[in-house]
Parts: sequence; structure tokens; C-alpha cells
Amino acid sequence: MKKKTDFLPYALISPLIIFIVLLALTPAAFTTIAAFFKVQPLNPPTHFSGLENFRDILHNANVISSLGNTFIYIIIGVTLSTVLGIYFAVILQRRFVGRSILIAVLILPWALPGVVEGILWTGIWDANTGVLNSVLKSMHLITHYQVFLGQHKFLTILAIEVVQVWQITPLSTILILAVLQNIPDDLYEAATIDGSNGRKSFRYLTLPLIRPGIAIAVVQSIIATLNIFDQPYILNGAASTANSLAMETYAVSFQNLNFGQGYALSLLITLFTLFISVIVAKFIYKKVEY
Amino acid sequence: MQNAIKISKSQKSIAIVVAVASAFGFASLAAPAKAASPVTISVVLAAPPLPPAMLAEFTKATGINVKWTQVDWDSLQTKIAAGSTANTYYADATDVDWSRVGQLGKLNWFLPMEKYLDTKALATDMPQLSSFTKNGHVVGIPYDASFMVTTVNKALFAKAGITKMPTTIDEYTADLKAVKAKNVVQYPLNIPFAAAEGLSTYWYETTGAFGGHILDAAGKPLFTDPASAGYKAAAWMVNAVKTGLVPPGNINVADSQGQQTLMAKGKVASTFSDYSGNVGSLYDVAASSSVVHQVQYLATPGASGPTSNLGNPDGIGIPVKAKNPAAAAKFISWFTDGKNMADFAGANGTARTWVGYFFPSRLSGIAILNKKGSIIGGDVLAGMLKTSAAVFPQGAPAWYPEFSGAVYTNLHAAAAGTMTVDAAIKAIGAVATKLSSGK
Repeated sequence: MKKKTDFLPYALISPLIIFIVLLALTPAAFTTIAAFFKVQPLNPPTHFSGLENFRDILHNANVISSLGNTFIYIIIGVTLSTVLGIYFAVILQRRFVGRSILIAVLILPWALPGVVEGILWTGIWDANTGVLNSVLKSMHLITHYQVFLGQHKFLTILAIEVVQVWQITPLSTILILAVLQNIPDDLYEAATIDGSNGRKSFRYLTLPLIRPGIAIAVVQSIIATLNIFDQPYILNGAASTANSLAMETYAVSFQNLNFGQGYALSLLITLFTLFISVIVAKFIYKKVEY
Repeated sequence: MQNAIKISKSQKSIAIVVAVASAFGFASLAAPAKAASPVTISVVLAAPPLPPAMLAEFTKATGINVKWTQVDWDSLQTKIAAGSTANTYYADATDVDWSRVGQLGKLNWFLPMEKYLDTKALATDMPQLSSFTKNGHVVGIPYDASFMVTTVNKALFAKAGITKMPTTIDEYTADLKAVKAKNVVQYPLNIPFAAAEGLSTYWYETTGAFGGHILDAAGKPLFTDPASAGYKAAAWMVNAVKTGLVPPGNINVADSQGQQTLMAKGKVASTFSDYSGNVGSLYDVAASSSVVHQVQYLATPGASGPTSNLGNPDGIGIPVKAKNPAAAAKFISWFTDGKNMADFAGANGTARTWVGYFFPSRLSGIAILNKKGSIIGGDVLAGMLKTSAAVFPQGAPAWYPEFSGAVYTNLHAAAAGTMTVDAAIKAIGAVATKLSSGK
């Protein structure tokens, strides 16, 4: 008997396919091609330029500076958001009064736009009128107001990244919590019978079993930190102390109107994101079966 | 069914054609001709909408509806660049900032306004129109007369025993030092050192006060010599933060932030490059200020006496891909009418007042406001406007945004202490030289 083709699944996923092709793959293909062209409205005409855009941006001091800054953002952001994500997920796995409310509150920073968060945290970090300075001074921990942003590179990046960690940790928590809740209680009971204490259970049972969740959380943190824009832009302007690759892409494209170099930089960021995501998936992700 | 209506094949075909045509928006194929629908134009500015009463008056008089969209300034510049590069429609009338005139003029992204309005007649009543002209074409029409002014908290100056206001930059500096020495305030001067456009414009104004210009007619830097006004201005600004005249925290304070949180709160005694109109719209507003009636405009102290103020007005123009350029031109003509501008600034009650707008770009508009006494410091400002000068007398260069980026990032770094003033000036000069050479 001839098997009848069922078109329903294809029909159901077709909107998503169309969406991805039109809004992700087509612009990506266009960017990839245009990265090899000189596209400068102020200096026409547009023409094929081979690897010139890539060579120029890799010799651009601002891009190099932003690359170093972005690397620091990634290290701080991914480490903090993952560690905190695991910590909060373990706490939230336990049942207690107000747990649902706490989860809802936890998600709030994730739902806020980066610009709003930047403005909110300006009120905390501000060196003239900030809340943090006020609190530290009232506790006699400082004698005069401190400058947290703009003066010292690492301190500035740390202060800005804390804002982003505040934003992205909820998603890491939820991703890890989802995996954590799938771990059968039997495993912990068996481990306890075998003499395992809480720390050992976490080290040898929980951590290995939540690796899929950690991998996804790490990848999303990498993507977020690699593309950080709103927080440094609002909190530190365009200063080289904390400018990011995404900010530099914006400046090259829309300030300098050098779209060819902007495309090239975007392409490099995309490739780097893909590369690092694959590495993370390869080393952290592990299929778990209970 | 007995009473069913019989439809022939040809009728069916016609029905299908009509249905398809309607579905694709060709409703006119299936419907009788109607009277032309009213024109709607899209106005996109980095400002809140005009008062509904005013817009309704415009629509009643012209039959043109206005769809107003507010977009923040930075995003709007991105929108203009992206839309124009993609050669697509994004607005019928939109922002033409003074600093983008060179770029927009060279790229021909906006229609020449002299084709739609009598710009020669406008020029006599609009001193800043020259800043919006590039290669003989008027790229946009200024709708406010924003220019940089010096503001002083006279109460704080008086506490330091200063009753005669300074007229030179040396006197001004000495007065600030006196305010600090007498501990009236810890940090008397507001300079927004955040790496943003406000720092660049502050430097331009200070350079003007030291008696010089930023670029020559060919776009080459005029500030690299230590004896030049631009160099002295940068050194003066950085020195002010190093000697404690400026709050250390200002390293990350943007222009409007400093005005709102420092100047309006009496934490500093002066802002050398402030916004024209801030006295009436910020410092004298009790809800946002603790220095009501204490701040006054000061003719900008120069090298040997008061100097002219530099203009940074906002303008409006018509993108080349506008769907209704003629209607947009009618709107711009009405929008920049002297009487209407006076109304926007509060000459005829709150229903006709445009939030955030305080100073017309037309002298006739200011005259109306002055007559009604509805602009604080209006006579002083009107005098300053008459003598206000363009930041770049030859017009803002096409590469201004990139140049300004170099200005504010390097001056910020010098103030933060990560580079010397000399190194910052050299870096800015190198960018100007490279860009003006077309590299």
C-alpha cells in the first residue's frame, strides 16, 4: 500500500521556516556578500574590495580596543551569570512559601530593556549623586564620593557587566532549573543511602546531570555579552575604557557611514559567536539519560 | 433551491477578478471613483508631538494630516542613514541636525528646501539658516534657535563676594577659583566629560571663547598648535577637572544630566556651555530646580571680552524618498512660521505650548515672545542670537560625526587621565587631517 505523505507537519513549521529565511538567513547572506565590497556612501562608488574591509578593521585601534573589552565582558558575564544561575536554580528547586512569586520577581530584570537598566543603574553608580556612594558614605566606608565608571578600565567594565549579569542571570537560572527539575529524586535518595552528603551529591550528581542546561545557559550568556551595547552606551558613553564590539560596529556603520567595514565586523562577530558556541556545546553539553 | 440566483460563468469570472483586485489593494478597479482622500504626512523628530490644537489647526487650513513619530536622537540618525542608504521611504519630514548638514548635503539624502520655500526671504529673519546650507542648497530649516550660552548662579557667585560678572575667560576662571576657595560649593564648574556629543560642543564653544575656530575652510585642524585657541580650550577644560573646579564624577556626566543634577540643584555655580533657554525651562522651574531665580545668562566670556555664541540648532527637512514632499514643505512652512513658533514657546497659553520647546529660530518669533514678556531672559538671548555664529563657518564637514567621535573620546580620555592633553589633541588632529584628505 502506497504511504500517503502527511503535509501537516510541514505546513505547521512553514511560518517558522519563512521567518528564519526572510529575517535571519537572507540578511546574513547579504551581509556576508557585502562584507567583501567597499560600501561608503560618502566615498562612492561601491565596488568589490576582497579582504580590504577585514584588513582595515583589524588595523583599527578602536576595534582592537573594543575586542579586548568585549573579551573581559564575556569572561565576567559568563562566569557570574552561570555561577549565579546554578546557585539560584538549586535554591529555587526546593519548595518553599513564596517560591512562585520569587521566580516571577527574578524574571523582571530579564524582561527590562537594556537601555532602561542602564538608566536605572546610572542612579546607582553615579559619582556625583549615586545611591552607592551615598550608602557607602553614610556607613563611613568612604570619606568622599568615588568614581566607579570611566576612570579605571577594569572597574568600569566590571560595573557595567554587573548590570548585564543582573539582566541575563534570570534566563540562566530558568534554563538550569528546567533541567534540574527533571532529575529523579530516586537518584538523590540512592546517593544518601550510599553515604553521600549534600556537597558530594551536588558535585557528583547535580552538576553532571545539569550539564545540558549549563551549556545552553553559557551559550546564551556568550551571545548576550558578545553583543553588549545598551549598558556600556548608557553608562559610559562611547569612551574607549569600556566600548564593546557591538558599539564599534554601530560607530563604523552609522557614525562613519562605512557600511562595508560594518558588514565585515558583523560577519566576524557572527562567526566568532558560532565558533565559541560550538566549542561550548562540544565541551560542556552532554546528553543525559536517567 | 427554487429562488437561488443564477450566476453565469462570465459573471463568476468578473467576481473573481474583482475579489482578487480588491485583495491586492486595487479597490479602485471595483469601486466607483471617489474624491481624493486627504493627504497624510509622516513627521519623525526627536521631540514630543506638537499640541493637538495646533496640529488640528494646520489640518483644517491645509487638509493635510500629520502623523507624528518621536524617536530618540541617536536612533533617528541611524534611521535616516539606514533608510537613505536603502533608498526607501521612512518619513516625509524629519530631523536635520546642524552637525549633519555637511553629510546630508553631500549625500543628497534631502531635497533642496529652496525649491519649496522662499529661503532667501527666510534668511533675513532666521540668522542660523546659513548653518543649514551646503553647496548652495538649503538642506533643512532650523525650527529652534538652540545655541550655547554661559549660565551663572549669581547667588553662589555673590556668596563668594562676586557681584561684577566676568567678561573674559581669565576673569571667569578667577571667579570660579574664588567660589571654590571660599567653599561656597566644592566644585563650581560643570563640564560634561562623558564621551558624548555634549563634550564636543562644549569644546567648540570654549575654543570660540579663546578666540579661534576648530577647522579651516579645507577642514584641516586649527587646534594642534599649543598656542591655538582649540588647544588652550582643551587644556583649560582638562585643567579644570584636575584642579578641582569640576566634580571628579563629571568624567561620566552627559550635558543634560549635568544641567539637571548639578546646575539645577545648586551643586555647581556655572556651566560655561549651557543650552539657550535652560533658565526658563529648567533652572526657574521649581519642580526640577532648587535654584529658582538664581541663574542668569552671561555673555560668553572671551579672550579679551564677551564673544559670540556658537549655534547648534535643530532643523527639519524633506528626505528624497518622501511620498508627499509638497505637503511636507507646507508643513515645514507652517511649523517654522514666526507666530506659530512663538505659540510653541508659550506666547498664547498652555494649549498651544509645545513641551520642551523654548526658543524660536526666527527673530520675529522672539519679538512676539519678548513683547508678551513670556520668555525669561528673552532680551539677553535675542541679543545673543543676533550675534551667534556657526561652529564651522564653512559648514559642518561631511565627515563631522566621525570627527566628533574622535573629539569626545580623546577629550574624555584626557580628563580621565589615561592620556595627556597633548596626545588627545594630536589624536583628534590626526583624525581631522585624515578625513579632510579624503582618506
